[in-house]
Amino acid sequence: MKFVSFVLRNTFRNRRRTVLTVLSIGMSLFLICTLRTLLEALENPPATPESARRVLTRHATGLANNMPVAYKERILKVPGVEFAVSNQWFGGEYIDPANFFARFAVDADHFFDVYPDYQVESPEQRETFLKNRTASLAGKRLAKRFDWKVGQTITLKGDIFPVDVETRIAGFLEGGNSDDSFYFHWDYLNELIPKEMADRPGTFVIRAGSSDDVPAIVDSVDSMFQNSAAPTKTETEGAFILGFVSMMGNVRFLITSISTVVLFTVVLVAANTMAMSIRERTGEIAILKTLGFTPGLILTMTIVESALIAVTGGLLGALAGRYLYRGLDMGAVTQGFVPFLDVRWETVGFAGAVSLAVAVISTFFPALNVSRMPIAVALRRRAQ
Amino acid sequence: MIPIKYNIRSVVVRRMGTAMTVFGVALTVAVFVSILAMVRGLQSTYVDTGNPLNLILIRRGSQTETNSFFDRDVKKIVETMDGVEAAAGEIVVIINHPRVTGETSNVMIRGISENSMALRPGIQLVEGQMFKPGLREMVVSRSISERFKDTGLGESIRIGRSDWKVVGIFDAARTAYDSEIWADYNEVAQEFERPIYSSILLRTSGEDATADLQKRIADDRRLKLDAVGEREYFEKQTSTGDAIKILAYFVAVIMAIGSCFAVMNTMYAATSRRTREIATLRVLGFRRWSILVSFVLESIVLGIVGGIVGCLLALPVHGISTGTTNFTSFSEVVFQFRITPELMAEGILFAAIMGGIGGLLPARLASRVPIVRALRSDG
Repeated sequence: MKFVSFVLRNTFRNRRRTVLTVLSIGMSLFLICTLRTLLEALENPPATPESARRVLTRHATGLANNMPVAYKERILKVPGVEFAVSNQWFGGEYIDPANFFARFAVDADHFFDVYPDYQVESPEQRETFLKNRTASLAGKRLAKRFDWKVGQTITLKGDIFPVDVETRIAGFLEGGNSDDSFYFHWDYLNELIPKEMADRPGTFVIRAGSSDDVPAIVDSVDSMFQNSAAPTKTETEGAFILGFVSMMGNVRFLITSISTVVLFTVVLVAANTMAMSIRERTGEIAILKTLGFTPGLILTMTIVESALIAVTGGLLGALAGRYLYRGLDMGAVTQGFVPFLDVRWETVGFAGAVSLAVAVISTFFPALNVSRMPIAVALRRRAQ
Repeated sequence: MIPIKYNIRSVVVRRMGTAMTVFGVALTVAVFVSILAMVRGLQSTYVDTGNPLNLILIRRGSQTETNSFFDRDVKKIVETMDGVEAAAGEIVVIINHPRVTGETSNVMIRGISENSMALRPGIQLVEGQMFKPGLREMVVSRSISERFKDTGLGESIRIGRSDWKVVGIFDAARTAYDSEIWADYNEVAQEFERPIYSSILLRTSGEDATADLQKRIADDRRLKLDAVGEREYFEKQTSTGDAIKILAYFVAVIMAIGSCFAVMNTMYAATSRRTREIATLRVLGFRRWSILVSFVLESIVLGIVGGIVGCLLALPVHGISTGTTNFTSFSEVVFQFRITPELMAEGILFAAIMGGIGGLLPARLASRVPIVRALRSDG
């Protein structure tokens, strides 16, 4: 411990270099934390006990194909099924195609039974939504993005459906996956659309009595419709969302490859800095050894110094990410593509650990080299 | 002016430190070039698709063929319009099918009619033969056939309630059609019980006729169709690459700032080691600005070398085939990473800018070296 102040002084003797290195490492770790959080946001939809009990049924051929609405009654008879609602992805655009967000038409009657994790601001808002066929509910984050008020009229221009849907906001939702979504009545949509498209929802959302019933429900529903004109594919909500991520291509591979390369540049930067400062100090180290410092102690002191720089940089980068993304309205910045990013404390800790590892890897060999160098050689090198 | 040779030699003398900095810049450029190669590859599939004399007719407001459907009688009206040389009614359906790697994605199946091939002369059948009308047979693009399960020549996949046999492989010269499966219109319409057209592809008699037809179709109350130029239709879908493009610039800018700091470190070290040399240059009569320019140039050289190495590192990704979902048509698009000379030039320019910015402050410091004190020092 008595060498703490010695190490600290060494760390700051070339202040400019230390600051530049901290900033450089900070930038890279900021990037790594961002990418890691982005991947988390894409791959891990908030898994609540409620979402584990939700199952989605769709047409086996693909989402662009719809199923007869009569399936709902048959699904409700499957053992373990508590509730089921028709659900339709509306698509379309709100004012401008760039204003992307999820728009669903759902059966209002059992909407809150299937989504008990969705909270409406007040019981009045809930009543208004249930009672009015043209009412809609908006996620809170979404409402903030467009500055919507209760009672406001929202018009969605159709593209999948040849109709424009005009709804009035009854209230705001939060919890589960609702924060960035928009919901209105399926019955209302069903009335508006041409009769050849009517009575055919795209998905059914099922609420299971318990998560243990889910595998049996999946099997029974799919086998029930296997030989019909519209065979189905049923899966849990989580699996359904992951399916979308895999449709985007190999996002995980892309992000991990970028992160690996970035990590490599951090090692380079740290190694370069430490090599520079060790080279400058060759003579000093010889003197320390003359004074009786062991190679092990010198090695440790050098590594601690480099760890101090790297971990400071890493934590700064991670924390900058954490507070930057909290302060920013990500939905508006990315036009709804990434509704929010939250750099978790675990990720900040991860950044610290990565920086520590980088420091050890990048300093070990140059430091080992110099700590083992015979005193006479080191002194002579200084003279050159 | 101090000859650039001085800087190049100085860079070479400090091998290790230079190499590490250059490599840092190189990695930044390699990431930048690789991700942009992906964006360019993806976008070029849409930019290069379509014939300027072709019009795609889709249901008004539907934006894409996937969302579009209309009555087949419409074709008879359109076919006889002035300026129309040929018309092909088509149906588009999306199926969910596993990739070779296991996870499922959406593939577009196009039911084509007899004029369809003639209207798209760039598309060649490269293996097997064309499907026969009246049979559940299909031809698959080479890209899809390599990327999806059971879609090789002679294999068959289950669609709806029938088994469809792959009888031919086509090559659409890396256009958007390279991500499709084609079969006979009547067979597809029957299988999906959808006796409609998703789109009609028209060949017009000339540019004037195209513009005129677009106006007449838009104004015709009976039709309720949008007539979009085939090229325009696909160009609008280049937005598929936007998310990756934003990612590319975000990653590149952050990495570049980090690399700038690293370059600064190296250049500060370089100038402080050469304080005496710089003072000597001043004594020899070189001006301050000349020292400044010289060191900035040295840093730019460092950057350019890094940029070249970075491009070389990125080069192996060229031609790699990958895919993503086009969320406009809601189906898989297969594309190849594409590194063009322009992209490499951009990467090197990017590196030179990093070098320039990183070298500015150290160079300014160098140009202000106090001559007498520097000469007396032992540095």
